[in-house]
Amino acid sequence: MNNDLLTLAPLITVVLGAIAVLASDMITPNRNHAPVAVALAALGATAALLINQGGSTASALGGSYVAGPFVAFVGLLGISIVAITLLIAPAYLAARKYPTAELAATLLFALAGAILLGAATDLITLFIGLELMVIPGYVLAGYAKRDPLSTEGAVKYFLLGSFSSAILLFGIVVLWGVAGTASLSGIATALASGEANAGLAVALALITTGSAFKIAAVPFHYWTPDAYQGSPTPITGYLSVGPKVGAFVLLIKLFVIALAPLATLWIPVMVVLAAATMTLGNLVALTQSNVKRMLSYSSIAHTGYLMVGIVAAGAGEAAGIAGILFYAAAYAFMNLGAFAFLTALQGRPGATTQLSDLAGLGRKHPRMAILATIFLLSLTGIPPTAGFFAKTYVILAAVQAGGPATILAVIAVLNAAIAAFYYLRVIVYLFMRDPAEPAVQVAEGPMLRAGLLIAAIGTVALGLAPTPIIEAVIQALAT
Amino acid sequence: MPILSLIIFLPLLGALGIAALPSSRPSLIRFAALGVSLITFALSLGMLVGIRGQSGEFAFSEQLSWIPSFGITYHLGVDGLSGALVVLTTLLSWICILASFGPIQTRVKEYFISFLILETGMLGVFLALDLFLFYIFWEIVLVPMYLIIGIWGGADRIYATIKFVLYTLVGSLLMLVAILATAFSHQAATGSWTGAFDLLALRGTITDPTLQILGFAAFALAFAIKVPMFPFHTWLPDAHVQAPTAGSVILAGVLLKLGGYGFIRFAIPLFPDGAQLFAPLMIVLSVIAIIYGALVAIVQTDLKKLIAYSSVSHMGFVTLGIFTFNQQGVDGAILQMLNHGLITSGLFLLVGIGYERTHDREIAKMGGWAVRTPVYAALFGFFLFASVGLPGLSGFAGEFLVLLGAFIANPMVAGASTFVMIFAAVYLLYMYQRVFTGPLSPFLKGLGSKLTDVTPTEILTLAPLAALVVIFGVMPTLLTSSFAKSVEIFLMSAISVVGQ
Repeated sequence: MNNDLLTLAPLITVVLGAIAVLASDMITPNRNHAPVAVALAALGATAALLINQGGSTASALGGSYVAGPFVAFVGLLGISIVAITLLIAPAYLAARKYPTAELAATLLFALAGAILLGAATDLITLFIGLELMVIPGYVLAGYAKRDPLSTEGAVKYFLLGSFSSAILLFGIVVLWGVAGTASLSGIATALASGEANAGLAVALALITTGSAFKIAAVPFHYWTPDAYQGSPTPITGYLSVGPKVGAFVLLIKLFVIALAPLATLWIPVMVVLAAATMTLGNLVALTQSNVKRMLSYSSIAHTGYLMVGIVAAGAGEAAGIAGILFYAAAYAFMNLGAFAFLTALQGRPGATTQLSDLAGLGRKHPRMAILATIFLLSLTGIPPTAGFFAKTYVILAAVQAGGPATILAVIAVLNAAIAAFYYLRVIVYLFMRDPAEPAVQVAEGPMLRAGLLIAAIGTVALGLAPTPIIEAVIQALAT
Repeated sequence: MPILSLIIFLPLLGALGIAALPSSRPSLIRFAALGVSLITFALSLGMLVGIRGQSGEFAFSEQLSWIPSFGITYHLGVDGLSGALVVLTTLLSWICILASFGPIQTRVKEYFISFLILETGMLGVFLALDLFLFYIFWEIVLVPMYLIIGIWGGADRIYATIKFVLYTLVGSLLMLVAILATAFSHQAATGSWTGAFDLLALRGTITDPTLQILGFAAFALAFAIKVPMFPFHTWLPDAHVQAPTAGSVILAGVLLKLGGYGFIRFAIPLFPDGAQLFAPLMIVLSVIAIIYGALVAIVQTDLKKLIAYSSVSHMGFVTLGIFTFNQQGVDGAILQMLNHGLITSGLFLLVGIGYERTHDREIAKMGGWAVRTPVYAALFGFFLFASVGLPGLSGFAGEFLVLLGAFIANPMVAGASTFVMIFAAVYLLYMYQRVFTGPLSPFLKGLGSKLTDVTPTEILTLAPLAALVVIFGVMPTLLTSSFAKSVEIFLMSAISVVGQ
């Protein structure tokens, strides 16, 4: 029992941290900095525990929770995402009189879900982790409760999210029935020796549909643009990164581990979904004149690139999973950075994020514009940034896998060229247009600046010296 | 001392230093940038001297582990071919920086920072021997050029700069897939990532026929867009017309050579069988570029566009020479790259000097310019005759050797291309006649005293180019002997590897 507690310590710390955040808000209400400080302390403690566990594996709860390098990687990535969000959000929320403590607590609960997701070795723990991660997301999408757009987005997100959870759960149940075990590796063993039957086909169809909703793959993406645009900007940043990374952990566990024997069946579906997801996401992003909405659609395109890794992994290339994990880390830094930049531009309540609002920013706020340029170049995939190496890693895995994955790799790089058009258009507005009148007010407090800086350092470091992360990723897969 | 790293990263360090200078002191920034680029130039000359004493294919090699999980190394090296192109780059860089002193008056600091980063990128492309490193420098070149055209360019600069980036990006991203496929095939064959991205380790080992064909196609597309070969040339006239003068000079002088260099250093040695297979197509496209560029140049009404199309024609000789796969042709192609870099840069500088005074490039509005500014007209005439290929000036030797090589490979091709040299004389001399001779046009007369002759600074930018045009015109063997070994090794590496 003692060992179980030790193994579960990171998870418990996060949950206690969330409770401490709420308690601190009760003791000193309406103080924005106290809950953030408590949350950051909890994150720091969790990170230390995860790093400590990263060297070896240990199981708890009768083997349904396995701590080790994989959880450590997922957890540390989640901690970075939550920490950056907590740094950039308070000023924005305070200017609009929204509370900060609830955000901090909700994010910590979601992080607990992500850690559980990473550690899960059976279907039930996996599903609980998933729900624990996404339910806080519904709350966050409706954070601006007086704003009808935010409420609309939250309702859509909640309804479609619940439906997809139900579909996924139904698939999980059928799979459990067919395989006779809930353990992920047990399912793989059972499927490898058994024959295909109707029940399995139903399970595969339901699980694929449910998962596609969760990662917002085309054509199951309709909830994303509304949910993303309606939410307060820093929360949109979190929603476009956190739940997405979590959903891909789910995909790795369900498809690459449990359903591996059926790879020949699901790979063609994933290939089509991935190609459609990146192409449609990019084409629609091309037509957007609102930067926030453009980034929402571009996040759909990035889902498509990440799916290339799933396809490669399904074809038996471990580099596919490594590519997904690296991509997730790179994407977290560069996309949160881009949203931090948008957050800074919306210092005043009511400030919009139209492209024209960015005109001439390079002249008035050169440092801010250069940071934005780094994030945009990274999202485009221009070296030497994190985004470039992430794309390279995923494509390398696809090329190794060969067959349909190679074609997918070519589609992915052509898509990157489409994406270059709309990312670079933002740079055109930043540097090549005359300043807008009235000029945008940039609000950057010390916390927002720290958040921007962490995101920028991550974006550049992962591009110039990717070796530590590559080694962490390879180590995460060793178990 | 890691002299190659020093040469590559000195401009970048200079850019960082300039970033720390106050924007309110533009002349300090200008001279700082000039100083950095002059030191880089001096270092590259030292390197050139050093190459001669070295044995082995590549001199001053540097190799450090970078991303060991995939065998990616920081591997640099220089031979006669890349050495010459490096010196061309460092020479044109300081000339461009000096030529930008007057024309660039807005956002001076950002301009020189972009320019120095661009120089780092270009030098890196010429010196990298690791495919991954090469690709990174190749892409880094895009960003500052995108900004230089987009911020300091003409009226349609944004259209032009986005077109430039998108064209280049499509080609280079497919090349990235090919690089990764090549690396993986090495890993699959040897069971280790060591050397998977290393040009010297990969050369001659790619025996998979499919990879030979597809790999060459992907590399060739990236380089063909950069050169640019017909029909991928349409970004070039737009980019040239909209770019500021120095941008045009670097574009014509160095960026186009990245494509030719890529063929010689990477595409053909890695994929000789693919290259042999595609050679007839490449030769046909080269001849089309030579003829088409010249014909379109005849009807241009804008001076810069005329020279841009003449570049398409001249660069056609480069690709034609490369794909003859004989010594004369390849010697000629490299000579043509270097000479085009000197001559066309001179012409773009001269068009820019004229534009500074007239704020116009419409050929129809000009006339009788020589009356007012004899030195300007004489210099323009000098570079123009060099571009036509007058014997004794450097443009002649390259085209002559390419044609000789083409004749050995296929007399028909050589005949068609030789015929075009007459068109080159037509469009250039016809333009010169309309712009410089005859009575002074009303437009130029209306400018009055603004129509001054070249200043000493401007002469300083043109003189080194003119001197080299004469020296290499009289003694082309100075160049051919310096890269003879590179050509010899290239010709050996262009022989089929599949089925051996």
